Amino acid sequence: MIAHMSSDGARTLGRTVLHWLVDWARIVHFGAVIAVLALSPSSYARDNRPAIARQVVQGTVPEVWWFTLLTSLIGLVLIRIVVVTALSYGLTRYALEMVVRVLVLELIPLSAALFVAVRCTLPDGEELVAMRRSGALDALTQEGVDPMRREVLPRVLAGVFSVVALAAVSCVVSLLLAYWVVYGFSPWGFAGYTRTVGHVFDPMLTLIFALKTLLFSLAVSVIPMASALIDPPPSRSRTSAEIRGLIRMFALLLLIETASLVGNYY
Amino acid sequence: MMTVKDAPAPVAPVRNLELKATALLVLLVLLVVGSALYLMYARGAFEPTQRLVLVADDSEGVVVGMDLTFSGFPIGRVRRIELGEDGKARILVDVPRRDAHWLRQSSVFTLVRGLVGGTNIRAFSGIMTDPPLPDGAIRAVLRGDSTEEIPRLVAATRELVVNLTALTSEQSALRASLANVQATTEKLQGPQGAMGVLFGDDKLVRQLSAALARTNALLARVDTMAVKTDTQVFGTGGVLPESRETILQLRALLGDARGSLQKVDAILVDAQAVAGNARVATTDLGALRADVEASLRKVESLVNEVNRKWPFARDTEIKLP
Repeated sequence: MIAHMSSDGARTLGRTVLHWLVDWARIVHFGAVIAVLALSPSSYARDNRPAIARQVVQGTVPEVWWFTLLTSLIGLVLIRIVVVTALSYGLTRYALEMVVRVLVLELIPLSAALFVAVRCTLPDGEELVAMRRSGALDALTQEGVDPMRREVLPRVLAGVFSVVALAAVSCVVSLLLAYWVVYGFSPWGFAGYTRTVGHVFDPMLTLIFALKTLLFSLAVSVIPMASALIDPPPSRSRTSAEIRGLIRMFALLLLIETASLVGNYY
Repeated sequence: MMTVKDAPAPVAPVRNLELKATALLVLLVLLVVGSALYLMYARGAFEPTQRLVLVADDSEGVVVGMDLTFSGFPIGRVRRIELGEDGKARILVDVPRRDAHWLRQSSVFTLVRGLVGGTNIRAFSGIMTDPPLPDGAIRAVLRGDSTEEIPRLVAATRELVVNLTALTSEQSALRASLANVQATTEKLQGPQGAMGVLFGDDKLVRQLSAALARTNALLARVDTMAVKTDTQVFGTGGVLPESRETILQLRALLGDARGSLQKVDAILVDAQAVAGNARVATTDLGALRADVEASLRKVESLVNEVNRKWPFARDTEIKLP
């Protein structure tokens, strides 16, 4: 009986691992299809352009103000804490470097990705699930329109664009805030500040930073859409497609962040 | 089958959608390109530089991108670190040409590692009138490591403590000297004061005191004598006024003597004249004498002639030899 149970457990575990592997393979396949579509000029044909433009504008413009405001406030507090602490320990020359490293390199890309995921791509994934469930995607196919190009690709592109835009704007705003907190409105700190920033952003670190931001944007854009499209209908699973997409996305973000930390500091 | 209920809500149209999207795209591209250009500027990509090679025994703590500072200002960046043929570390530094004038041929470069923080490469230019450092110059870098100094410092401190202990021990010369100083101070404060310190023996001090007292008495007497001498010598009727009178009298006497001498002088002149005359007379006497002698010789010869011719002699005898 025990042998029967253990063989049942092994079989269940094997089935779970197999499912997991198959799911990830389908996600990777989906990502590859999306990459091919994104890189092929025919995806930006006149018919698809309005859909892409609408997703990009609606996914970026409202978010960028909120996100910049929030990161400015939190960044201001963090910069102030770091600068005051460094001042009290007599390590002011390292304060700016630490601010740039912690805030710009580590916190802002991750928070931008999470913000876009929560506000934009996860709802988009839910929308796709609804469309899939309602048969709207099938209807589009029947009308001779490729739903991948018309509905999925614009959402993925909007997610990628939004993450990159939010990260870029917030990084620039945070750098300006750091200058303001340390030097005030005096222009005479510019040379030293520029030198410190140049010192932090060496080529390897800059490459890792750019790659990390890009991978974050891809992770938060592709995985919710993939989960919406490849997962079985909700009735057949205990967890919904959104939750599974969320878990997969967090796992991938964690992996990317860890890899970037290893690349930067080891 | 799609029903009206399941269909997604119709999307509200956005005005100038494509224009807005294009503007967003352009803005993002501008932002990213601008940031990239700023970073390149911050890393000195647009500055003409000259190369400086610093040779160090140990490049520990030196990282690519760290600054070379002059008077606290960064004037160069480490571009590369390599191991030279001779086993020494070669630190290749790019110095912007606009800052290169701070480096002279006599400049000194140091590599300092602090207890906290990173390593610093510093340049010192003592003589700013020296020729500027040429491109590609190779200079040795002096290493000043505060952590390397600690063992030496500890050893020196230990030696110092040992010396101090030896100095302050019970048998030390310093303690003996201090005891002597204390004894001397006590003597100084005693009734005999510094004299007691100088001569030590009480008997000698007493003798010296007596000698001093006698010297004082002697000095008093000398003083009295001086007063008396003053009175006798310089007072009215003293030696000095009388001497002055005597001198005056002597001067008068001398005047008289001078007159007498002048008279004597005249007499002497006369005497000289008399002597002259006497000399002439003496000359004449010589001639006279010669004449007298000649006459006498003639008389003698005449007598002899008479004697020969007229023998008046009683005993004429001829003596034969």
